[in-house]
Amino acid sequence: MGIFSRLSWFFKHRWKQYSFGVLALLLVAACNVVPPRIVGVVVDAVSKKTLTIKFLMMNLGLLLLVAIMGYFLRFLWQKMIFGSSYVLERDLRNRLFHHFMKMDTTFYQKWRTGDLMAHATNDIDAVREVAGPGVLTLADSLITGLSMIFAMGMFVDWKLTLYAILPLLLLAIMANVLGNKIHDAFMKSQAAFSSINNKTQESVVGIKVLKALGQEKQDEADFDKYVSKNIKANKKSYRLDAMFDPLTSIIMGISYVITIILGGLAVIHSQITIGELVSFITYMAELTWPMFAIGSLFNILERGSASYDRITELLGEKSSLVTPRHEVKTTPNGPLDFEMKKFHYPDDKAIALNNVSFVLKEGQTMGIVGPTGGGKSTIISLLMRDFDHYNGQITVGDHDIRDFKLDDYLDTIGYVPQTNFLFSTNIRDNIRFANIDATKEQVKAAAHVADLDNDIDDMPEGYDTQVGQLGVSLSGGQKQRLSIARAVLSDPELLILDDSLSAVDSKTERNIEERIAENRSNGTTIIAASRLSSVEHADQILVVDHGTIIEHGTHQELLGNKGWYYDTFNLQAKNAELEGRLNSHG
Amino acid sequence: MDKKEQETINDIHALSRKQQRNILKRLFGFAWAFKKQFVTAIIFAIGLSVINIILPRLLQYYMDNYLVHQDTGIQIIVGFAIVYFIGTIIKAIVQFIQNFAFSMGAERTLERIRSQLFRKLHTLGMDYFDKTPAGSIVSRVTNDTKTLYDFWTLFLMILVAAFSMISAFIAMMSVNVTLAVATALFVIALYLLIWLYQRLSSKIYQRLREYLSQINTKLNESLMGISIIQQFGQQKRMISEFEHKNNQYFNQRNKMINVNSFLLYPTITLMFTLSEVISLGGFGLESTHTIVAAGVIYAFISYQQNFFNPLSNVMNYMSYFQDGMVAGYRIMKLFDNQTTSPVQNEDSAQKIEVGKIEFRHVTFGYVPNEPILKDISFTVNPGQTVALVGHTGSGKSSIINVLLRFYEFGEGQILIDDHDIRDYSTQELRQKLGLVIQEPYLFYGNIANNIRMYDDSITDAQVEQAAKFVDADEFIERLPDAYHAKVIERGSSFSTGQRQLISFARTIVRNPKVLILDEATANIDPQTEQSITRGLSKMRDDRTTIAIAHRLSTVQDADQILVLSHGRIAERGTHSELLKAGGLYSELYELQSMD
Repeated sequence: MGIFSRLSWFFKHRWKQYSFGVLALLLVAACNVVPPRIVGVVVDAVSKKTLTIKFLMMNLGLLLLVAIMGYFLRFLWQKMIFGSSYVLERDLRNRLFHHFMKMDTTFYQKWRTGDLMAHATNDIDAVREVAGPGVLTLADSLITGLSMIFAMGMFVDWKLTLYAILPLLLLAIMANVLGNKIHDAFMKSQAAFSSINNKTQESVVGIKVLKALGQEKQDEADFDKYVSKNIKANKKSYRLDAMFDPLTSIIMGISYVITIILGGLAVIHSQITIGELVSFITYMAELTWPMFAIGSLFNILERGSASYDRITELLGEKSSLVTPRHEVKTTPNGPLDFEMKKFHYPDDKAIALNNVSFVLKEGQTMGIVGPTGGGKSTIISLLMRDFDHYNGQITVGDHDIRDFKLDDYLDTIGYVPQTNFLFSTNIRDNIRFANIDATKEQVKAAAHVADLDNDIDDMPEGYDTQVGQLGVSLSGGQKQRLSIARAVLSDPELLILDDSLSAVDSKTERNIEERIAENRSNGTTIIAASRLSSVEHADQILVVDHGTIIEHGTHQELLGNKGWYYDTFNLQAKNAELEGRLNSHG
Repeated sequence: MDKKEQETINDIHALSRKQQRNILKRLFGFAWAFKKQFVTAIIFAIGLSVINIILPRLLQYYMDNYLVHQDTGIQIIVGFAIVYFIGTIIKAIVQFIQNFAFSMGAERTLERIRSQLFRKLHTLGMDYFDKTPAGSIVSRVTNDTKTLYDFWTLFLMILVAAFSMISAFIAMMSVNVTLAVATALFVIALYLLIWLYQRLSSKIYQRLREYLSQINTKLNESLMGISIIQQFGQQKRMISEFEHKNNQYFNQRNKMINVNSFLLYPTITLMFTLSEVISLGGFGLESTHTIVAAGVIYAFISYQQNFFNPLSNVMNYMSYFQDGMVAGYRIMKLFDNQTTSPVQNEDSAQKIEVGKIEFRHVTFGYVPNEPILKDISFTVNPGQTVALVGHTGSGKSSIINVLLRFYEFGEGQILIDDHDIRDYSTQELRQKLGLVIQEPYLFYGNIANNIRMYDDSITDAQVEQAAKFVDADEFIERLPDAYHAKVIERGSSFSTGQRQLISFARTIVRNPKVLILDEATANIDPQTEQSITRGLSKMRDDRTTIAIAHRLSTVQDADQILVLSHGRIAERGTHSELLKAGGLYSELYELQSMD
């Protein structure tokens, strides 16, 4: 029952609909009393031979009227109660989506896509059941049950009624014991469903790898393992489910036994008449349905409550991003001062960054290079505020970046990620993702900066070409360039290229660099790259390895150092040139 | 996307009778494997109806035969109570068996469909995955199948209802034939009602399912692209788009409630009361000229009640049935999808021994009439390396895609070891052709699992060896749990370079005969790149290699370089031959030397 109070915010919100619904249910119950009464009146008239056609027709007319009224009242409560339950479904799903949009990297490292999706479908469905069938069953079984108990006491005997309904207290115990078990079992069922969702999601997204490795059979076998686990988990909850009705039957059976003995004795001792006992038993038969309904009610409630637990657990996850203590209202601009004493990832003790500091003036370009896993991406990740907890400070124009509202801060950054993700829409909307109202010209200009305009013009549908999950597959290089166009569209204060020129050849790379420089004379740019040619022209270059800066300077200075940069440059320079050209022509 | 989605919605028609029969037949086909559970459930359900008739009779007998006598002893009363209680216990047991057997039958059926559906996915060609959003596929495998759980309940309800209706009808016949027949006529009305309901609701449920699938697609994409959304501050727009979809779904739900409330459960009570009006009227009119016993009327009306009562349950489950039919339709559509992977001769025992590869006049296009590859012919002798060079869109990747049988090619022939590529089983092809993919994809789990990829015959030592081979060992061993370090979804906690190294190791550990490289080493730092270059050339030593080459070493060492342009081979030869020929390639090389 606790789930009702936890959902009370919703019931309060929809109190009118629920009141109407319950009122309609009450009226339906009242309507149900009428037909037996009319049948009684007519039959009495028949046996007394006083029945006239007019009297008969009048009663039949009344019966018809009640039938039609009942029909509409039933329609009404279904609409009110079930309709509201879908409002809950919609609102919860929206709420989850809002929440997902707010969550940080830590959250997304913890939860998997399939799991999050299962929450937004399967769990919401179970909670919706509480607000629909749950409420109906509760109201309906209470109305019918209480009125029957009242009738038993009123028309037959209160003492007998009391004894007869005493075993019904066992229902509460049953609901409690079985309810807890169902709650746990259902939690596990839902978790198993989540796993199946995760598994399917991964296999679908990684299908190419699975196909290339010829792992279809093995993947199927693996999927079947999840299916078996799911069956096992569900079996447990279905076994518990299946116990509600039988236990209710037994409890009702005890009530009958009491009635048979006490009622029987009462009849023999002439305390009640046999006719009264017949009515009593008839009323008890009418109690059967509400009792079973209570069984299924607890089932619905426990399932709903388990799912609601899962949903609230998700909604309870806080973004670890810092809300500004003294919020700075100005838009971030000014020099970037990065001073990181120590940083480690939340679930990892190893130091990821150690004493990394640099200052980047407005309009400057900085390159970050270094071996894979050396710390390039970590620096960028901190700039992007993926993580807010560290020993150090990052300031933009004298303000700690954590003092800006996250959205305000990110608005000033154009970011091109390592992994390209395109949305299932056309090229135009992907480019103007940051500003969906951008004009044709702006989109074209951005595409030009990214050296993608010619590619697009070559496509039959041009900027209307569908890409992403529903559209054509672009090459790795095209995707990267599209990501660049997306980032430069809004003309950001700070442009970050996170190894985002890796799949384009050096000629294109140079084009892009030149156009970026042309278009962004005031903008600050950070380029993380594996290929040193990408950072050659930068105002300063950081060489990062093992989480710390091992070299820092301009291209010329670094060459003079004869260190990592010098070695690598010699290694790369020649190769890169030829390869780039080989791939750009032909 | 919205346009496309809207088209799907507009394209929905009510399921025809033939379609419905077909879906039912196939769904029953799946359920047949669990007939034991279902038959058990049915037998016990009918048993339960019998018990439900016997128990009240027992009570009646007790009251009629014992309670009317004042001298009935306490022993008889208690004895009777015991008998009744035993009856109740039997009833409870029957109830449990019926419930549990039925649940498990339904559960196992849906899991079977789920598992087969997943198998079907693996037979589909890449074009299916290119064109279908992941969220919608996942939704099909998990949510649509789940909907089938409640589907079967209707049949149980119908069986139970039929049983009670027939017995009620016989009882009514024994009282009054005319009125019994009149009552039975309501079955026709019921039939018409169900027909109408099916017509109206089938479209609504299809739209409902489609919207739900679109919601899932949207959700899925938003979750996968969350970092982009947040970095570009587009949360609000995504939310409003999502809410719009969610609202469309909600509106469809409201339509469903209207149809269900108008046509389902409330109609049964209405019908019952109407039949009451008829029988009461009938008996009433009759009583004006003959004698009608009051008991007869009561009895008849209570039989009528027994006739209609079980129908309420049937009508309640109609909506689950309809929902299940539509889910079934969507599932069957996936089963019937013809975009299957290119077909191989799976029974073939043909083995790839040396790894000679030949393309003969191969033509291919992702879309018919838009060829990407035109008349491609070349031969790679065993152990040789062929480098594919050319601009984006020149057809390099397509050559790899058709060779790996991701897509079916059009005209021409591909031969491996002088046998048609179709004459090898898929397994043989996958085992002997090793692909290194440009965009590495890692699976949830740990690093060792990602290298091993389900192949448990690969030992830990082999995994480590492979990692060492591609120089991935250094960074892996630096991780806290080394080879058992956790890999989260899509490997997103690793850099692209690291992911690439792991995916190299994954290919190398399988020791393929033919190596197919979609080179993408630009993500790796030069030192690692050098090691990889070394590793790859070590690997190439005794292997046939086809590489989309970005790396100078691959190009220079290649036995043959194919320069692709607009889907054709523009130039071919070795590095020195091409230089001598003085064509495009040499032009490029000259250009480089001048730098």
